[in-house]
This record gives sequence, C-alpha cells and structure tokens, in this order.
Amino acid sequence: MTRIYYLFVVCFTLFPLQGFALDPSEKMLFEKNSLYQYIQVIEDTAKKERYVRNQKKEYTQGGIYIHAPDKLLFEFTQMSFVSLAFLDGDPKDVLFVGLGAGAMPKYFTGRYPDAVIDIAEIDPDMLAVAQRYFYFKENERMKVHVDDGRLFVKRAKKKYDWIILDAYQNDYIPFHLTTLEFLNEVKSRLKEDGIVVANITAPYRNKFFDSMVMTYKKAFPHLVMFKGKKSANFIFVASASIKIKDKDSIVARARKIASARKFDIDLEDIASRYEPSEIYAWAGAKILTDDFAPVNLYQYQKSGAR
Amino acid sequence: MIKFVVFLCGAIVMSFEILGSRVLAPNFGSSVFVWGSLISVFLAGLSAGYYLGGRLADINPSSRKLSLIIIAPGVLFLTFPLYSGPVSDWIFMKDLGVRMSPLIASSVLFLIPSVFLGIVSPYTAKLMICSLHTSGKTIGTLYALSTFGSIIGTLITSFYLITLAGVNALIMGQGVLLIALAIPLYFMNLKCSVDRSGSVRIMDDTK
Repeated sequence: MTRIYYLFVVCFTLFPLQGFALDPSEKMLFEKNSLYQYIQVIEDTAKKERYVRNQKKEYTQGGIYIHAPDKLLFEFTQMSFVSLAFLDGDPKDVLFVGLGAGAMPKYFTGRYPDAVIDIAEIDPDMLAVAQRYFYFKENERMKVHVDDGRLFVKRAKKKYDWIILDAYQNDYIPFHLTTLEFLNEVKSRLKEDGIVVANITAPYRNKFFDSMVMTYKKAFPHLVMFKGKKSANFIFVASASIKIKDKDSIVARARKIASARKFDIDLEDIASRYEPSEIYAWAGAKILTDDFAPVNLYQYQKSGAR
Repeated sequence: MIKFVVFLCGAIVMSFEILGSRVLAPNFGSSVFVWGSLISVFLAGLSAGYYLGGRLADINPSSRKLSLIIIAPGVLFLTFPLYSGPVSDWIFMKDLGVRMSPLIASSVLFLIPSVFLGIVSPYTAKLMICSLHTSGKTIGTLYALSTFGSIIGTLITSFYLITLAGVNALIMGQGVLLIALAIPLYFMNLKCSVDRSGSVRIMDDTK
C-alpha cells in the first residue's frame, strides 16, 4: 500500500511540472491544464520571442517577437494573409475559428480597422493567455466568442467575406472541423465572393493531408494551395464563387494590397508560391465526413498517392 | 456462452460511448459539456440497468429472457442512423444552451441502450450462480469479464474501427452482433448444474 502511495506522489509531483524539457534559453512564464489542453507560455530569451504551446515545441499555437509584438512571427500566419488577394474588395466581415495567441486578428485589424471581426475560441484560458501575454485586446469591432467553432458557424446568422480556419489541439484539427458537412456550413456563411482559408500542417505527405485536399475540393469549386518554406504548413484558399483567379492576377493583387495596407511581410513572394490543388489531388483519398473522419489515425499513415 | 455475452455487452457499451462522442460533435461540438453529458448519461443508464436487472433476475430468470434483453439494444443500434440525425438536428434547433443541449441529446440517444446493457450484468450473475458457496467467484469473474470487454471495446474502437468504417456503420454492426448473439441464446436453455466433481458449470439443457 505504501508503495502505491509513493508511486502516486512521484507521478503527481514529477510529471506535470517537469514532463516537458525546456531549452536553456527558454523561460516558462505560465502553465495551466485548461479544460481542453495543456497551455504553456514560453519566452526565448536569446531569440527574444514568446510562444504559446501545448506539450511540445511542435505543438506551438502562436507567438510574437517581444520587442515587436505587432509583427507576424510564424510563417503560417504570414502566409494566411495571401488569401486577401483573392478578394476583389476589402473584407468587411471576418471570422476567425481558433484564436491562438491572437497574432493574426491583431495584425489584420491594424491594417483593416474598419472590418468587423468575430473570433470563435473554445478555450477561455487561451483567450486569457492571449490578452495577458500577447497584447491581444478585444474592441468594438473585434469580439471573441468562447464557443466551439462548429457551433459558432452553425448558429451564425451573419455572412462573412473572409473566414480563417485555424483551430488546433496539439498537432491536429478536431475532427468535426475537418468534415465535408462542416465545410458546407462554412460555405453557407460566406458572401458570394467570400474566401475561406485554412492552415493545414503536414510534416510529411500523410493520408490526412490527402483527405483534406479532396474534402476541400468537394466542398468548394476552387482550391489553391501555398506551401510553407520554413514550416510544414500548407495554406488552403478556397472560394465559393465560380470565378477562377490565376497566379498572375493573385501576385499582382498581392503586391497592390501589400503596399496599400503597409504590410511588412513579402505578400508578393508568398503569392508566387500559388499552386493549383490539382497537383496534390489524389482520387484515392477518402473524403472526410461527420460519419467517417479518422483524423488522428490518418495523420500517422503515409499517403497512398504515388 | 453466458460469459461471452457478458464480455461482448461490456465491449459494446464502451465502444458505443466512444462512437457517441462522434455522433454528438457535429451538432453539439466537443466541449467539456459534451463529454460530461455523454459519460454521465452512460453511467446513469448503467446504474438504472443494474438496479432493474437485479429486480428482473429475481423473477424466473432464463437465458431466453436474457436474449430478449439484448435484442432490444440490438434493434436500437441497427436502426440508429434512422433516428440519430433527425433527433440531433431537432435538439440543435431548439437550442437549450451549451449544457442542456448535449445532455438532452445524450439522454435521448444513449440512455435506453445503456439501461438494457446494464441489465445484462446482474441478470447473468443470477443465471450463473448455482451455489452460494461459489457465488463470490462467479460474480467476480463476471465483473472482470464485463470490464475487460469494456477495455477491449474502447481500444479497438478508438484505435482501429474508426479508420475502417463510418460511425453509423459501426453502430449498426454492434446491433447485428447483439442480434446474432441473441438468436441462439433464445433457443438454448442454459441452466447451471453441479457436476460430479462438485464444480459448477453452465450446461446446455436442451439436448
């Protein structure tokens, strides 16, 4: 019996506190087991950066430069903004699904102060962390709704010009935010020429990636993809409209937006990575539905393509 | 045979609970409220089932009646896709709040099958207890089998079955399994008897 007590003591004292090793330059500012995840705020004193992540470095959800909190630190956040080049006008109504450190909405509202922004975030602790450590502030036009992304979309009455899907738990997207039914619900919340952009991580070509390509292609008439150079992220840009926008027009439009809205990232370079989704489409991949969506298992299975 | 029934019912309860989270997510999300509702409804069903099962076991227990008890959730599972969608959609439309919506939906969809599966444990215990002398061993074995079944059900569902087929197909498959088990059980007349060596076993008395 005493041995069991001893085991308990060891488990409860050692594991939660020391389970996740830090680099020598890293300093932990905050940690908490929230309702949905283990949240850790880390400051890298050498790089002068601050991150919010789950158990591992690979599960980083967002971050900032300490001395330039209004810049975009991560490549996927920079890349997501290329999708603005697919819109003919300025986005007026915007929805983010997944808050993270709040870097993207903060960056966006700085450049488009007139836009009305809704953010759906399931975890109230994530919101608290974004506010306390990442200089994220709600305002009259930018509101965070503590709600499941799927439910927020289903209950939304409004239509949006730009919808950003970036909800992650550790290194995966909750299955009910990957399915054809969900994407159709998202599509129904888009204005006629609205754009949806999703951040999809794929450390290697796995079945999940294949299925995401086919599911987006099934839900939307057009899908364009942008591949990360520094990261394992793909940015999916899909539109509900039937008009195709070719690479040249997107690059030109990206250049225009970048100078008009004073972007400090090379939007034109990102736009030049434009790839039609046909390159990645593989007809053998299963479309994910509410009935069938083995997200976690597919992430660990190699793609069947080629 | 009876032991296999106990094992399988244990496996199906937990497998159904895992699949239940997938059934609820599209309309109710995957918040803590959904998980809380799901787990508590299953436990409520099981505890009601244990209570009822104990009562029923005292009134002329037979393997024929046991087969009817497991056919009921079998039929509910087999027809699950017919009612789960409309029921979930309807409760979603009613919008009873983040807590009540998943709680009501879980109750409507999962409570009744888990009551029936809960009945199985005490009922089979009564069927298998032949002498008070060994009743502790019998009950212990059944508890262990049922929970072991639950472990297997949880693991194979979450590790494998979800990649192999859709949620609805899996739930219907469970229904088929229960019905396939109930039919032979109906025609058997399982009773316990004491053999010459004094050890207790369940005998097929129909021959």
